[in-house]
Amino acid sequence: MKKILLTAGALLAWTSCAVAGAGGSDVVSIPAEDYKAILQRLDTLQKRVDQMEKAESPSGKAVSAAMPNKLAKDVETIYDTLDKVETKSLKDRINLGAELRTRVDDFKLKNDNSYGGGGTDHNDNFWTNRFRLNMDAEIQKNLLFTGRVAVYKDFNSLGVTAPNDASQAHVPGNTSLKLDRAYVDWTPEGMPIPLALTFGRHPSSEGPPSELKENRLRQSTYPSLLFDGESDGVVATVGLERYLGWKNSGIRFAYGKGYQDSNQTVSYLDNGSHPYDDINVYAMFFETEIPGVRDSLLVLSALEATDINGMGNPNINAKLGNMSLYGVHAQANNVADSGFDIFLSTGLNKTDPNGNAPNGIGLLDSDGTTKHTGWSVYTGLRYNIPYKPMNNPKIGFEYNHGSEYWASFTWGPSELYNKLATRGDAYDFYYIQPFNDNLFGRLGYTHINYDHGVMYQVFGEPGPSNAVLDDVYFLLDVRF
Amino acid sequence: MQKRIVTMLTAMSLMLPAVAMAASGDALFLQSCGACHKKGGKAATVNPADKAGTVWEKYFARGRHPVPTGMSDADLQTVVKYLMAHAADSDQPAAAVIPK
Repeated sequence: MKKILLTAGALLAWTSCAVAGAGGSDVVSIPAEDYKAILQRLDTLQKRVDQMEKAESPSGKAVSAAMPNKLAKDVETIYDTLDKVETKSLKDRINLGAELRTRVDDFKLKNDNSYGGGGTDHNDNFWTNRFRLNMDAEIQKNLLFTGRVAVYKDFNSLGVTAPNDASQAHVPGNTSLKLDRAYVDWTPEGMPIPLALTFGRHPSSEGPPSELKENRLRQSTYPSLLFDGESDGVVATVGLERYLGWKNSGIRFAYGKGYQDSNQTVSYLDNGSHPYDDINVYAMFFETEIPGVRDSLLVLSALEATDINGMGNPNINAKLGNMSLYGVHAQANNVADSGFDIFLSTGLNKTDPNGNAPNGIGLLDSDGTTKHTGWSVYTGLRYNIPYKPMNNPKIGFEYNHGSEYWASFTWGPSELYNKLATRGDAYDFYYIQPFNDNLFGRLGYTHINYDHGVMYQVFGEPGPSNAVLDDVYFLLDVRF
Repeated sequence: MQKRIVTMLTAMSLMLPAVAMAASGDALFLQSCGACHKKGGKAATVNPADKAGTVWEKYFARGRHPVPTGMSDADLQTVVKYLMAHAADSDQPAAAVIPK
């Protein structure tokens, strides 16, 4: 570079001499502006030479060496910052999320004498709020925690008391925080078979296919037609994918309680004054993605509830018997890339009464001796409208029919009524309008024709009914 | 009531798009990313829930993928949308775990 500059300087000098020579005189005559430009150019070149010489000098080398040092210092600072962030993050332990739903309903219940007033109950402006705080944590790689607490309430009202433990977070009440779910998935290492243990208050509400209507992913282990409510229990799951080759296949063995009869004074002791004890629930589920059908689910279920009793109801002060429940649930999302999600769920229940029927209330009968079988079918579809300007809205339809003696464990539905316990026909239409990734609205209409009463589910003979429920609602739901 | 249901179902079925839909995000993710990101593959396994949605978006926008993905811009966008839809901060399925 230096050579180039010296050459350029020499050339300029030589050019000046040549110009002078051409004129036949030692005096050079060039325009003043050109002369200034040449001087400026020389000045600029000199400055660049000075800079380069400075860079190559011992002190200049120190300046160059300072750059990596500065970078190293910056990296060290970044590491320190990351350490702080990571430490804070690890100390947080639990990730939090939240949901808020505001809903307004227009109900009309006709021909139901349970409600008096000529059998008609009408509320054309019923508002509720539901707040949920979701939690999860990866305690260890093989130890996962998930939890949810909720407040579900009427607008400026104390609401009603939930009928049992399985519906605490699913019936609008007061502002008390309810434990909806809190469970741990533990996958022990070094087991000869893929085994997981899930214990705590289970993800047992709003199960498949509820997520279609709820505009989210699967939210429960069990199909909602058979079990939809909060439950404490223990589940052992054996993974079968490596043996069967079927994606997400496994078999579950579950134990829980429909009711735990405890002493009111010393809670861990039995209640000796009751002629009944606990309701134990044993269950087995097999589930898998249907081979060859992407994003699908098949669940085969079998449950047994033993020693069913009135759960503290003084009018049903006895053990009534056992009930078995069986089900098949099949579901496929976005079938053949058509945008359609479809499902079919069926249930069958059988009672085994033990002869008790206090106050004429037996297990689905009035004498405590007759065995009954009930069934239900639940089907529906949802279409994902491929219209991006409106954020791909969804439209769905569901139908379920329950026979005279149909009974399952659906105490904690996300709706204000127990649609899946219907002994009759229920029609459900809805339209989901997403506004963004976190907010959607749902407009829906539900029509239920009751053929038989449903008030106490498994308790007593289901009497004939001409009740009709119509509900139009709109809700806004935000999750983050 | 039955008439209303039939009408509704008919309307819904008419909305079925006649045109074939583009390849879905999960299929593209499995095909394109899964070619290298797999057990014993050229790159470590990757799960959409490894990063938050906006982190995935920035990851590709900043060209942080160490080698060319080999995907067209449209396909890459589809995959990024899939990753964002199943990212760590997206809605996650909840059920008792099934061990593999």
